[in-house]
Amino acid sequence: MEDSKGDDGLYPIAVLIDELKNEDVALRLNSVRRLSTIALALGEERTRRELIPFVSESNDDEDEVLLALAEELGRFIPYVGGPEYGHILLSPLESLCTVEETVVRDRAVQSLAAIASELPIKSVSEYFLPLVKRLAGGEWFTSRISCCGLLPVAHRVSIQESEHQELRGLYRVLSQDDTPMVRRAAAQNLSGMAETVEQQVLSQEICPIFIKLTQDDQDSVRLLAVQCCGPLARALSKSECLTSVVPVVQRFAQDKSWRVRYNVAQQLYMLCAALGAESSRTEIVPPFLKLLRDSEAEVRVAAASKVASISNLLDADTVIRVVLPCVKVLAADSSQYVRSALAAVVMEMAPALGKSATIEHLLPVFLSLLKDDVPDVNQVIGIDLLGESLMPAIENLADDNHWRVRLAIIKYIPLLATQLGADVFQQQLGQQCMRWLEDQVFCIREAATQNLQKLAAEFGPEWAKEHIVPQVLAMVNNSHYFHILRQRQGA
Amino acid sequence: MSDLDRWIEQLKRCEPLAEKDVKVLCEKALEVLVEESNVQRVDAPVTICGDIHGQFFDLMELFKVGGDCPQTNYLFMGDFVDRGFYSVETFLLLLALKVRYPDRITLIRGNHESRQITQVYGFYDECLRKYGSVNVWRCCTDIFDYLSLSALIDNRIFCVHGGLSPAVSTLDQIRMIDRKQEVPHDGAMCDLLWSDPEDIEGWGLSPRGAGYLFGGDVCTNFNHTNKIELICRAHQLVTEGYKWMFNEQLVTVWSAPNYCYRCGNVAAILELDEHLNKSFMVFEAAPQDVRGVPAKKAAPDYFL
Repeated sequence: MEDSKGDDGLYPIAVLIDELKNEDVALRLNSVRRLSTIALALGEERTRRELIPFVSESNDDEDEVLLALAEELGRFIPYVGGPEYGHILLSPLESLCTVEETVVRDRAVQSLAAIASELPIKSVSEYFLPLVKRLAGGEWFTSRISCCGLLPVAHRVSIQESEHQELRGLYRVLSQDDTPMVRRAAAQNLSGMAETVEQQVLSQEICPIFIKLTQDDQDSVRLLAVQCCGPLARALSKSECLTSVVPVVQRFAQDKSWRVRYNVAQQLYMLCAALGAESSRTEIVPPFLKLLRDSEAEVRVAAASKVASISNLLDADTVIRVVLPCVKVLAADSSQYVRSALAAVVMEMAPALGKSATIEHLLPVFLSLLKDDVPDVNQVIGIDLLGESLMPAIENLADDNHWRVRLAIIKYIPLLATQLGADVFQQQLGQQCMRWLEDQVFCIREAATQNLQKLAAEFGPEWAKEHIVPQVLAMVNNSHYFHILRQRQGA
Repeated sequence: MSDLDRWIEQLKRCEPLAEKDVKVLCEKALEVLVEESNVQRVDAPVTICGDIHGQFFDLMELFKVGGDCPQTNYLFMGDFVDRGFYSVETFLLLLALKVRYPDRITLIRGNHESRQITQVYGFYDECLRKYGSVNVWRCCTDIFDYLSLSALIDNRIFCVHGGLSPAVSTLDQIRMIDRKQEVPHDGAMCDLLWSDPEDIEGWGLSPRGAGYLFGGDVCTNFNHTNKIELICRAHQLVTEGYKWMFNEQLVTVWSAPNYCYRCGNVAAILELDEHLNKSFMVFEAAPQDVRGVPAKKAAPDYFL
């Protein structure tokens, strides 16, 4: 690389600056991507005085170039002389916040948020907050959408109560904007607002806005508002959650738009976590069951994927009595996506169920999914998942006091062996298979012997020679006659 | 497959044999049993079982835990019939196994293997209900008379259904009994099938109206005289399945879980390996789903 301080080194920079004005989009884009190099070469002073005003004028360029510009400017504070000059960057980004293209605006909002977090408090009140207000009052809806995205960060970085009140006022107005796009943006940023305000403000000011948004006649607004249920539930006290969030969820679970119901399904876990087992059982389980039986497959997918995490927050009795029957139905769902979603989480229900219910209800479901005709479904249960979720359950049950439990587990071993392959199997279950041979109960020893025969058939004579024969020979020396008896059966 | 193997398969499915087959089976069994001693010699390893009382599906459970006959040697200490719903199938299965594998299974007589008792406690009624006549009951009770009275394992463990008798101090005295008869109301043969151990000294009157209560000193004397180390018996319900008494000189083994389908007890069998090392295996009643169709009839009043 050439030294950029030399006169010759400046030549490539001159080319880059030239290319900022080139007619070829590809060259302009390349130049914008190297904007920081240009700034370094120009120095802080000239960057502030010449480069930034220049790029500010170029917002009628192609969207691709604008997107790159919005992105670059977000990292530009070091090149204009640090945070106290950061406000210089606000003006070009402000104009990017008003363009038609959503991705450019979103990027500009992101960059503005990053810069605002670094600005000194004086610049915030002097430059950033006026910018936010200008956007809020913008004629065209695009600026008002961008404003919604900036309000949470503005609320966070400003310190005066009067400023806070004004910002929340803006938010309230925008949440009732005539354009649904703006209301959507307001809904999207509700959880962001909720995170920055204090508890009291949350319940007095944000909650009413939330309720209002959930009653919007546009389902696209409602379904975004739904996504705030979880974060709100976490931020609110339990009683406020019960009075303001829970009814919304219960209503949404029956919303006529399936997309709303889909989003509700995604929120229920956080709600359960905020409410605790007892309230969850009475308030959340009924809508959850409704979603598990929804007429739309997508909704069932969303609900099925939460079945384990929610079950683990509930008491075992409820899970066995009301959730499990739904799970069994889902395992035979006509949609393979529902079955896939269930397969991915079903064994994680084991802790919620306890031993006997796991064997009796969960393993059959799991194994029926493992044998699913559609490869997508059974591939979801890959080796990793088997190892992470099934093995702990198996290990736990393999030593259960009741011999029928142990017997039930042994019967599943050959099927698992096929899925796991010889190496993983030997590592995870090899020792256990040998221990069963010395079980006190006859039919466990018998099943263990048959199990080894099946394994040998599955993995071949070489494997048997290496893993079974030496250990069995060692047992022949054991004086207990039951073991010798078993050798004879196994021979 | 011989008739015998076929019958065993059939009985294991809890299907009673045809009356003519029962007759043939009993004839064959008689030939085997008549040869046995009143104190039948048994070699370890062997698994000792107590009362079964017609609880067929719990007997299947016992075999699952203890192993199938003939892979595992068994000694059943009587009371195969009465009280449970399947006395016919239970007794005929054990008898068929005895005929098929005479050296692998030993059956000794309990106080319920008697004409008088079975007429009161269910076996008679069950035969009448299942066959429409008492012919099968007659065949079976005739066989009862030939069942041995006790067993002696490796000359060290004495097995009997009830317990000891004041009329018996040596095993040879038992060997002298003419056992081929209905269980008498008193005397040595009656006592062996009816007596109970009790924490008393010497002998006491039995509340059962037959046999005696005997104390630890009686047990010690008997064991010493006959150079045995343990008396193993059944006859009394013990909720834990087995119960040691008299400083481990006597043990009660009970193999009918949830006795009469209502007592809530667990059952046990005692496994002896070839060195007479003991291990008790406790098991519970068979779960409802392996019991087949529940009996339609209400429990008769001879239940407890």
